Amino acid sequence: MIDTGNARCLEIKDVSKKFGAVTAVDHLSLYVEQGQIFSLLGPSGCGKTTTLRLVAGLETVDQGEVLLNGKIVNDIPAHKRECSTVFQTLALFPHMTVEQNIAYGLERRKVAKKEIIRKVARMLDLVQLLGMEKRRPSQISGGQRQRVALARSLVLEPKILLLDEPLSSLDRKLRKEMTIELKRVQREVGITFLYVTHDQKVALSMSDRIAVMSKGKIEQIDTAQGIYEVPKTYFVAEFMGAVNIFRCRLASRSGEKMYFETEEGMKILAAMCTGVCAEKATGISVHPELIELSPIGTKIANKNVFKGKIAEMNYQGDCIEVKLAYHDSKNPITVSLSNRIRGQSLYKVGEEVLFHWEADGSNVLTD
Amino acid sequence: MGAVADTISSKRSSKITETRRQHHSGKKIIGFLRRRAYFPYVGPLSVWIILFVIAPLGIIIYYSFLRAGPSGNIIAVFTLENYRALFNPTVRVVFLRTFLLAFLTNLICLIVGYPIAYWIVMYGGRWKHRLVFLLIMPSWTCYLIRLYALKTLMGYSGLLNAVLLKLNLIQAPLQLLYTPGSILLGLVYAWLPFMVLPIYASLEGLDPLLLEASSDLGANSFERFFTVTLPLTKGSLFVGSLLVFIPSLGDWLAPLLLGGDKVLLAGSLVEHYFLKQGNIPVGSSLATFLTAVVLLALYVVIKFAGQDALERVL
Amino acid sequence: MKGRKVARSVLLGISVLSYIILWAPALVLILFSFSKNRFGIKWEGFTLEWYANLLSQPAAMDALKLSILVVAIAIVVSSLGGTLAAYGLYKYQFKGRGILRVVSLLPLVMPTVVTGAAMLVYFTQLIHLRLGIGSVIIAHITFTIPLSTFVVLGRMSRIDWSLEEASIDLGANKVTTFWKITFPLLLPSIFASGLLIFPWSFNDFITTYFVAGVGVTTLPIYIFSQVRHSTTPIVNTIGAIFIIIPLLGTLFTSFFRNRKSAQSRSGHD
Repeated sequence: MIDTGNARCLEIKDVSKKFGAVTAVDHLSLYVEQGQIFSLLGPSGCGKTTTLRLVAGLETVDQGEVLLNGKIVNDIPAHKRECSTVFQTLALFPHMTVEQNIAYGLERRKVAKKEIIRKVARMLDLVQLLGMEKRRPSQISGGQRQRVALARSLVLEPKILLLDEPLSSLDRKLRKEMTIELKRVQREVGITFLYVTHDQKVALSMSDRIAVMSKGKIEQIDTAQGIYEVPKTYFVAEFMGAVNIFRCRLASRSGEKMYFETEEGMKILAAMCTGVCAEKATGISVHPELIELSPIGTKIANKNVFKGKIAEMNYQGDCIEVKLAYHDSKNPITVSLSNRIRGQSLYKVGEEVLFHWEADGSNVLTD
Repeated sequence: MGAVADTISSKRSSKITETRRQHHSGKKIIGFLRRRAYFPYVGPLSVWIILFVIAPLGIIIYYSFLRAGPSGNIIAVFTLENYRALFNPTVRVVFLRTFLLAFLTNLICLIVGYPIAYWIVMYGGRWKHRLVFLLIMPSWTCYLIRLYALKTLMGYSGLLNAVLLKLNLIQAPLQLLYTPGSILLGLVYAWLPFMVLPIYASLEGLDPLLLEASSDLGANSFERFFTVTLPLTKGSLFVGSLLVFIPSLGDWLAPLLLGGDKVLLAGSLVEHYFLKQGNIPVGSSLATFLTAVVLLALYVVIKFAGQDALERVL
Repeated sequence: MKGRKVARSVLLGISVLSYIILWAPALVLILFSFSKNRFGIKWEGFTLEWYANLLSQPAAMDALKLSILVVAIAIVVSSLGGTLAAYGLYKYQFKGRGILRVVSLLPLVMPTVVTGAAMLVYFTQLIHLRLGIGSVIIAHITFTIPLSTFVVLGRMSRIDWSLEEASIDLGANKVTTFWKITFPLLLPSIFASGLLIFPWSFNDFITTYFVAGVGVTTLPIYIFSQVRHSTTPIVNTIGAIFIIIPLLGTLFTSFFRNRKSAQSRSGHD
């Protein structure tokens, strides 16, 4: 493992970057600890790639500081920074073999030939590409090219590895495999990863910590579980799939329970939540998979229970997505029913049902 | 009654077999054409090329092996004496001079052309296209006029000498014309844009992420150029060289206007034998020799740079 | 980085110098087309008399007309043949495709002396075609048809061919599809090839000189005779026109193009 004393691996302090009239990164601050996999998650245009490029040195900051291992690197050009980038399009040199691609950075550092051969061989073994040394990028598959790009950057033993959506061009199956690969390699090598992606699933499965970004700013930094289960802002909630969002205010408290009320008079139950001042709360989000359906007349206590009418049912394989119309809510309620019991078609479109969820499924949001 | 019916039916059946036979051969032709749907498209071009490119060249090669008659006619006797003319000392000197000049032109265009193309692509920004246009534009003028302009500029009493005299940089006017050097300058002046164009196109098509990856992996600007940029644009150097070397070989106007007919190049010889002397066989042998050189150069370029690179320039 | 700065200035220096060298003769020519002086290089006063003189020279005007005629025919015939050929080369794989591509390059790559001489011999000795306007036109088509072919071919990959399929799917036959869909799609490329054919054919001297025979004078041939026996600076005048007109043309088209591109902008991530 790499020992850097007390300094954090990467620290970004109040960094901004503009392109003409467009502010890509807006007073951003974050830090990444040694050995972590840290993801920047957000839709396209949110500034995550720009942030990555600012760390790599491929763009210069307008204001603020970028620190690698405690040292300010603002003025250090890209080829001298101790970080390495895996590009979205991989950018493998088409006129060089796999071997030569991986050896490139080492050659620039004037490492001895014998040492280069040894390191390249070890890297090929690590990413499981032994036997492909003499091939050109055009002669290997997409997944193999990914691994070459990874090997090329890793062989330089950078302080931090920057990955710009490296899996976006792969199909789903390959993406899942490569995600596991990346994690495995990271654990083995212990290098810090800064990972940029727009894919929630990848971010959730890979990261130690996630920063959700929007319009150049950070919405929330938390663990994967925190981001998914306790989103703090409307943007994060919607981005992570908690599409059932109710605008409401605290109406009353009773022991450990809080009651919120929407404009339309809908009363929502939420459990006591830490870290959020209930008085400041402006809304509640609920993930679709936490809502259950029951026939009218079922006795349900101590939960949020409402009556709604099924508007749509979409079969998704592992689950069935149901959209309900509820008279006190403008938007449809989305429910994700697990398809654990096959062949069962309990409900039909147009039918009236009860939908309900536990108090601790209500997640409090603030503006 | 039966006999009449028989004759009518037999006539009808023979007519049917007759039409069937015609139909069958017509079908064959249609089938032939249908399998070759590309005929109507590439047909016109192919026919034209055969009639007016291959045939003329063929005829020249053919005539180069025939004997020249005393009154300008051609005797159909196979001979190699025309090719022996190539080894004639005067002719040899001319050819050597031609190749040397063409080679030097090529070299100078490479050395000067690549930096220009690089500068336009890397530092041109929004003005890139306009800069390239500005470079190509003089080439759109008639070659004759361009050489003439150059000649008046470099003449004994030309503008260049006048300016230099006035600035007191020289005491007496320089003899700038009528030397091989002036032809060299004329050739570079004429063909430099054609070296820059393919190099520019190639540099433009370079994936900028490859350059970023190179920097990211630790290469400084110089290393980046020699390990990534140059190798990936290698093909354009071949294409550019082709577009400079070959015209230089056959050029006849530059030696005429700038060399004053005192310094001859291969092109001048060809013109001389065909138009002035009317000696077709000897002229043909010279032309065939040049053709052979051109085809060789073309082969080398296509082998190393690929035909697409060549076509893309257009 | 000092090395970088030095390299940058060297690049700049070479480029600027080259531009100057490339444009100096042309600019001087334009300048002196307005000079009163007949011979030398001394500037003696501004005048347009040479331009007026040019217009009253029947030989020059006839030469101009002939050049335009030849170019016009070359453009029409070559665009047609070249586009068809490009279409065939792009869409179909057939034996001899590679050979055709290489051989089609020959007229463009061969030295003009060789092609000129070859055509001369071919016309006079083999097919006994009398040298004249016809032979000139044939020669011009010969070297412009490959030009058209390759320019259009080069742009074929950028065209959305699914439009052709949509047309057939909607019930049009092949001929209708070609005229209503394919041809309009290819029009920009044909236009571009025309733009290239024009100077190539209009300015051609050497090949034309070989096959023109007596009495057929295109503009370049006229200029040549003037250069050899020049008494008036008419060459300056013609040359100046040659330079100024394309310059104006490109300025005009680039202005036109800038207006169009100003309508589309893209953002940043």
